[in-house]
Amino acid sequence: MAKKCIAMLLAGGQGSRLYALTQNVAKPNVPFGGKYRIIDFPLSNCANSGIDTVGVLTQYRPQRLNSYIGNGQPWDLDVADGGVYILPPYQSAGEKGSWFSGTANAIYQNMGFIESYNPENVLILSGDHIYKMDYAKMLKEHIEHDAACTISVLQVSMEEATRFGIMNVGEDGYVSEFEEKPAHPKSDLASMGIYIFNWQKLRSYLIADENDPNSSKDFGKNVIPAMLAAGEKLWPYRFEGYWRDVGTITSLWDANMDMLSTTLINLYDPSWPIGSRSPVYPPHYTGEDAKIVHSIVTEGCEIYGHVENSVLSPNVKVGKDSTVFYSVLMPGAVIEDGAVVEYAIIGENTVVKSGAHVGAPPDGTDAWGVATCGPDIEIRSGAQVPAAAMIYTGEEV
Amino acid sequence: MRDYHGIILAYSASPELRELVSARTTASLPFCGRYRVIDFSLSSLRNAGIFDVGVIMQKDYQSLLNHLGSGKPWDMSRRVGGLQILPPFGLPGNHSGQYSGTIEALNAVSAYIKDIPQNNIVLMNADICANIDIDAAIAQFEGSNEPVTAICAEYASVGPHNRYVLDEQGKAVKIIFDRESDDPDSLPSLGGYIIRKDVLLSYMDKCKASNVYRFHKDAISMYLNDGGKMNIYIHKGYSSTISSVEAYYRSNMDMLNPETRKTLFIPDRPVRTKCHEEVSTYYGENAVSRWSLVADNCIIEGEIENCVVFSGVRIAPGAKLKNCIVMHNCTIPEGCALDCVIVDKNVSFPEGTVLTGTPSLPVVVPKNFVI
Repeated sequence: MAKKCIAMLLAGGQGSRLYALTQNVAKPNVPFGGKYRIIDFPLSNCANSGIDTVGVLTQYRPQRLNSYIGNGQPWDLDVADGGVYILPPYQSAGEKGSWFSGTANAIYQNMGFIESYNPENVLILSGDHIYKMDYAKMLKEHIEHDAACTISVLQVSMEEATRFGIMNVGEDGYVSEFEEKPAHPKSDLASMGIYIFNWQKLRSYLIADENDPNSSKDFGKNVIPAMLAAGEKLWPYRFEGYWRDVGTITSLWDANMDMLSTTLINLYDPSWPIGSRSPVYPPHYTGEDAKIVHSIVTEGCEIYGHVENSVLSPNVKVGKDSTVFYSVLMPGAVIEDGAVVEYAIIGENTVVKSGAHVGAPPDGTDAWGVATCGPDIEIRSGAQVPAAAMIYTGEEV
Repeated sequence: MRDYHGIILAYSASPELRELVSARTTASLPFCGRYRVIDFSLSSLRNAGIFDVGVIMQKDYQSLLNHLGSGKPWDMSRRVGGLQILPPFGLPGNHSGQYSGTIEALNAVSAYIKDIPQNNIVLMNADICANIDIDAAIAQFEGSNEPVTAICAEYASVGPHNRYVLDEQGKAVKIIFDRESDDPDSLPSLGGYIIRKDVLLSYMDKCKASNVYRFHKDAISMYLNDGGKMNIYIHKGYSSTISSVEAYYRSNMDMLNPETRKTLFIPDRPVRTKCHEEVSTYYGENAVSRWSLVADNCIIEGEIENCVVFSGVRIAPGAKLKNCIVMHNCTIPEGCALDCVIVDKNVSFPEGTVLTGTPSLPVVVPKNFVI
């Protein structure tokens, strides 16, 4: 049975700008917003939009991501005619096999997977965006406008426009020009890196792109400009709502802080559930002197200290007389009695020993930043981890 | 595959649980913020590698069926075997619609029991909250060479229970019925048994022939009078029988003690339950939460102290709750003051509601109640 649309989720990037947090795991597998991992958002969006076939392209450190996705059951993607598939780079008969050299090349290498479903359209997604989006609406516009490609765009301020790929739109409403990070933007419509392609069109452009030795095999840099140059119809789908790229420490921290405000993104909305795979823990416990203000807390946590403006993942412990301000504590993190954690990201199962101090409030200088500790680290008693520090797993602190 | 088959008795609901069991059995009563009472017997079996489990139910089981689903949360959705739902079949035509005792319940599904491929049965009661190390109990059962091992606790919980008097070898010699308190010469039964299937079937037949139905008063008495030997396994750690509103209330409050909670929620033997897609709980600017257990997907903006709060609960600024159990999806608006109240699912109070109970007589607000 031919499918109307299947999704290909690009989850192979290293996420090098998350440093210690992606030392051992792929970026989409980084914990986010208390209960989730980043990849939960695109996977849940697919399931909620009625897209039941998703190929996840993995490359960098995929083991934990693979086991996290498993059979797709937490997102209702364990269906008979479709489902979620992990697609690693592979070796073909008679060839040496190679890593994915770019986003377009990753899809090119998996054309066989796509063709096995014979879809009319293919949705291309990134594994590092936080948003709720009904892809069915985008697909509807794509079909209505008979587009070769529909690009999801977000209205940004003109100052911000210089940091994005900008779509200029002609009088007919179709995309007339694409500029990557323009110094003098002509439009405020930024590409979100979410595309729906007519599969037959995409197929021919991917083959052409693969044969072009000068191409960097990238959707934004090569495929989209090539389609524009050939006069294909490119439709901009205007998305309104919350969308964040969480590719850097600052943006990851910012977006976590956004989860404290339901006016930005409402995760309590039962009509658009975000699924996640997590072990069952008892409800969280608040002790005698616990004080929790403007924060989110997840099952399995035990709170005896003072938590403000923070995001606590499952199974986090916050000891007596300790303070956690403006911080993100990933699953299993332990803040011992009397420790201070402020403006920090604490990785999975990292222990901040009694009396240690991680991070510092903003001091107005450019040198300031969020302090980050990777997973499985022990910050020894009395240690001082300054603002903007980056502590890797295996480091002695 | 282990040579053990689980059977969970989930058909009963003590009348002392009043409104709490008006549309459910004890097995599906919500407990400790996110669990149902049956999760403890299912998880105990699962953690011992027993995946083939029959659940005996009789009526009011819609809530239980909804919770069990295919048995997936306990890994009991298997190609062969797995979780089996056992509503009544093969009851005589003149039956009143209420099992007179466990033996009658077992006889009602005797065809199922006869077909069990395993040679031993682990019988569990779905109204017990205990994380029982069935693996250790089986090891003792196998070492003892006796056809029956009774699972007992070290201390009795609230309410009437049966007790075993032991001989010097630690074997049961006598059963005492319906005791309310501990005594040093006997141990309280948790209603759990490991029993050879042929022995169970023969006593089911004997009871049927004599027209008696009760498990302890009839079958066990008969077995001991026949000179049958019974080994005792002593469960260490928390246990509680949910036999009344007071027992239910006290057991939930027990979980607010971190040391007690550790003996029920053991990392090596996790308590599994049906997963819901849920978001973390949010605490507002003026929230107060002390000595409390709070599930995911709540918005807490008021004050809670000594409370067990289930998922989906909304507590508005200015609401004050003390010593309460608040089940799924309840809304507590501004100005409410509740003390020693059990609020069943989906209750919305009007602003300014004041309700006060006592620990021995907590106020129960029934499910879906509109005030």
